[in-house]
Amino acid sequence: MRKIHNARGHTSSVPEGGIVDLGEVDRVARAARLRLSEEERSMYAKDLEDILAAFSVLDQAPSAENYDFNPVPIHDVLREDVPSAGIPPEELTAHMDTYQGYVRGPRLS
Amino acid sequence: VTLSLRRLRQLDDRYHFLREAAPDLDERCRFTFSAKDNICAAGMEATAGSRILSGYRPPFDATAVRRLREAGGALVGKTNMDEFGFGTFCTNSGFGVPLNPYDTERSCGGSSGGAGAAACLIPDHVAVGVSTGGSIACPASFCGVFGFTPTYGRVSRYGLIDYGNSLDKIGVLSRSCAQTEEAFLAIAGKDERDPTSQAQPPLPAGGRPVRSVAVPVEALQGLSAEVAGAFDGGLARLMGMGADVTEVSMPSLKYAMPAYYVLATTEASTNLARYCGMRWGAREEDVNQGFNDFFSAPRSKEFGAEAKRRVLLGTYCRMVGFRDKYYMKALAVRKMIIAQYEEVFARHDVIATPTMPFVAPRFDDVRAMTPLQNYSADFLTIPPNLAGLPHLSMPCAYAPLPVGLQMTAPHWDEMTLLAFGKEWENGFDFRWPEVEA
Repeated sequence: MRKIHNARGHTSSVPEGGIVDLGEVDRVARAARLRLSEEERSMYAKDLEDILAAFSVLDQAPSAENYDFNPVPIHDVLREDVPSAGIPPEELTAHMDTYQGYVRGPRLS
Repeated sequence: VTLSLRRLRQLDDRYHFLREAAPDLDERCRFTFSAKDNICAAGMEATAGSRILSGYRPPFDATAVRRLREAGGALVGKTNMDEFGFGTFCTNSGFGVPLNPYDTERSCGGSSGGAGAAACLIPDHVAVGVSTGGSIACPASFCGVFGFTPTYGRVSRYGLIDYGNSLDKIGVLSRSCAQTEEAFLAIAGKDERDPTSQAQPPLPAGGRPVRSVAVPVEALQGLSAEVAGAFDGGLARLMGMGADVTEVSMPSLKYAMPAYYVLATTEASTNLARYCGMRWGAREEDVNQGFNDFFSAPRSKEFGAEAKRRVLLGTYCRMVGFRDKYYMKALAVRKMIIAQYEEVFARHDVIATPTMPFVAPRFDDVRAMTPLQNYSADFLTIPPNLAGLPHLSMPCAYAPLPVGLQMTAPHWDEMTLLAFGKEWENGFDFRWPEVEA
């Protein structure tokens, strides 16, 4: 294992040789906001290891300098910002838990 | 229109391809259509096959649905699918599994599996599907129908529940290529609500004749004996229609599967971040808990096993330290594969391969597959999808289950494929399943 530092200065372990250990699965699951059972942890550790091993063929591909984000050219298109009726906000929020027109959410702590 | 809602419900009781049937059917309509469950239709539940979206009823129509209604179509239902499009066999829905009309112990294919069954079971029907990595062609192949995936950006995705933004394409499945073309012409074109639809050139009036067909040797490895034999027969029929068939080599295709799964899961993991129990579907009641617990609870409870797998994989691939190794590399590989396609298209009109390496598998065989074996089964449908190229799966033989032949054309050249498909269906000996309902 080697240590890397992310942008916030936190240290984490990166497995070498494509080994995905349970700690790595936990770290990814936390970032993805998933709580995994013990059974899921070991299943996904094995699955990720198999899949990432198959991805290693990408290491042989030529350099990654020349790329596009879309398979065909996409232009940035802007339209006039014209207010229109559209869909009434109360219809768009009909299925949400709202309070005085605001969507209810959790505490930010 | 011969379909009644009563008949539709009978078929669905037997084959389980619908998520929800429409409340009524206007019998004066010109044709009936269905929409995959990740395409919004006003007032009907839209879950994309995921329990996390249970109960979500959008108040608006997707552009594709609106345009088909305007063309005289009546929406008869929403079709079942793998959760968010994550699957090859339509066994990953949160709401049951559709059964193949040719053999109910076998898969319809995925992820637009309900659409494949609907297109096969209902004459004169247009099943609107969505393809990210082969989710139209695969069920078309397993259910013996035409499955058409347009160029990336040709059909507006307004009202589509996203999977992978640089890959998702809305298309059509149907028994008839003529009807596929008619539906495609209705839904294609620019839409100010989807910027990716704005870059498209106008559709040409017709297609180019198909005189030269390239077959990549990489697509001939790993086929089942039934599919290899059926594909040879398909090529013989192509030659009988006046086309030359030439084997070519496309070595960069070996990178397509990993590049696709890196991009698809990376994009999916960001798209699925929005399902956190606040705005749609399943919700935590206790707003006094911290946001991490509040957001994690419904995701952990409601996402299925494959959705969690892809979210984990995609999150891993874009974590600090891995982005260049996976995501940026995959983007570069996609560009290289597109360039290789362009080289082939400089000398040949279209590319032909089988659609899937095997016929519709039995459910017990699907259950025995590992995730990697499952992903690898997509090796023929992934390349055109990764490259955003239009492709058409056509029934080409029965072994005795249907086998699909997949034809791929250059970007924006949909009309060549559809013109050829109409020629192909003329005189083809279709064998529709005996419907037990």
